[in-house]
Amino acid sequence: MPKLKRSFSAHNSRDLLFALALITPALVVLLSLSIYPLIYSITISLQTETADGIKWGVSNFTRLISDAFFLTAMAHTFIYAVVALVFEFLIGLSLALLLNSQIRGRTLFRAALLVPMMLPTVVVGVVWRLMLNPNFGAINGTLKEVGVNTEPLTWTASPKLALLSVIAVDVWQWTPFVFLVLLAGLQAIPQEPYEAALIDGSSRWQTFRYVTLPLLKPAILIALLLRTMDLLRVFDQIFILTEGGPGFATETISLYIYRTAFRFFDFGYAAAMSFVLLALTNVISTIYIRFLQTKQTPT
Amino acid sequence: MKLLLKYPFLIVALLSALVPVYWMLTISLKTEVDQFATPPPWLVFSPTLEHYYDAFLSRSFGQYLITSAVVAVASTAIALVIGTLAAYSLARFRLPYGLDNKLSLWILSTRMFPAIVTAVPLFLMMRDLRLLNTRLALIIVYTAFNLPFVVWMMRGFFAEVPRDLEEAALVDGDSRLGALRRVVLPLVTPGLAATAVFCLIVSWNEFLFALVLTQTDAAMTLPVGIAGRVTQYEIKWGVMSAAGVVAIVPILVFALAVQKYLVRGLSLGAVKG
Repeated sequence: MPKLKRSFSAHNSRDLLFALALITPALVVLLSLSIYPLIYSITISLQTETADGIKWGVSNFTRLISDAFFLTAMAHTFIYAVVALVFEFLIGLSLALLLNSQIRGRTLFRAALLVPMMLPTVVVGVVWRLMLNPNFGAINGTLKEVGVNTEPLTWTASPKLALLSVIAVDVWQWTPFVFLVLLAGLQAIPQEPYEAALIDGSSRWQTFRYVTLPLLKPAILIALLLRTMDLLRVFDQIFILTEGGPGFATETISLYIYRTAFRFFDFGYAAAMSFVLLALTNVISTIYIRFLQTKQTPT
Repeated sequence: MKLLLKYPFLIVALLSALVPVYWMLTISLKTEVDQFATPPPWLVFSPTLEHYYDAFLSRSFGQYLITSAVVAVASTAIALVIGTLAAYSLARFRLPYGLDNKLSLWILSTRMFPAIVTAVPLFLMMRDLRLLNTRLALIIVYTAFNLPFVVWMMRGFFAEVPRDLEEAALVDGDSRLGALRRVVLPLVTPGLAATAVFCLIVSWNEFLFALVLTQTDAAMTLPVGIAGRVTQYEIKWGVMSAAGVVAIVPILVFALAVQKYLVRGLSLGAVKG
């Protein structure tokens, strides 16, 4: 284990003190700005303002179950996460498989594909407001040019298309990320299993299914885990593109929490909802990590 | 067959990645007449810089730009100092009860909280501290936000430095802190630079905390400034695009600089790139 050789065991008390002293500032910052806010949030989620002052209890949590807006926002979040994840994974995997082989201009392709995900999400929102604008947007303009549609499509302003439009924007921005992680995973696979498969006369599909896919699994799980976490909390792009509208058509859970806290100033209820989101992301990430750990044991 | 499929697919991917951004660039350079022209002029139009002057000289975007830069640089610097110290300790010392590993995982887990979960209490805390609408509030919050990332990135870089070098320095009579500064830090400088660039990008791009904590012209960052314009009724598309283009430029420069470390950074070192 190289790890052990490279570290000092802090058995004497001076080393231990030194080691702890170096960590302390970081711990203080995280305790006061990550953990304390969580505790603070729990206390406000347990308070409700009534006519005769603040009342303690779980009414903010029981209210969740019968709040149709909350349930709709949850449904939107799930649809958003699942659809975007499927597309980002399939396109990202195809791109990674293609770019893993010898091709000209690979560096250029790679650098260009990075652009969408490096942009501030607010700017991504602006870019797509411009592309999708019903009147002068490039998409409608081009569609009209080639004679596909006569009525201009309203995209983000149409209750039917709005959710799909914001999902498409997410796919545009984050497919490169999946691609990058999977490409790195592919490049870490050694040549030997492929040579063995070649000697065994495996077909292209068999090689992919029984060699590439199992060896790529850790990278796939990491990419899916990080994307899922981000998709469940999506806020920025939707805020810029639709503000959750039209009506409630693209309201996700983060937007609904934001609105509850900073438009209606119902901080207790917002805090209660945010714990549902936190619990949800925790459960899902635990499942992913469990998969990851079982697959990473050496065989 | 594969070759026939490969290049068209890649070119489509390339164009879809870049064309939307190019479209924004053209809007920022077009007169209002050209902006609304149909069919949209993609290549041929007479460019103008009026929207850039409008945004950064007549409107407050220049101020937002300065705020964004100040907040990003300050929070990155503080997170780097605090985080690097912690990372060195976690990479080098085995603490009793496996505490070093437990602490590392705990630090990483704080990064996984959805932003909106901490945004609500942080808003209330900053309100109580009378720090709403100040750059300081954003610097504090971004420092905490970047810290776990710095710890994890730097822990990986420190682990790659052989221990013998420090031991030699210690034998030569250096203190532990002296050995860290004179021997180890120079060896991890590329990693430190890459980590710094990532923090700068994240702080520069951040939106939700900035939206919640700053609402005045004097304190808001560029993304909040742009968003404020987007969601108003009468939208100045040229001004917004100009601000968007300016917001992108430093990011692209930085991203190119750290391309090599990109995968490692994005997956927090979980996948070795």
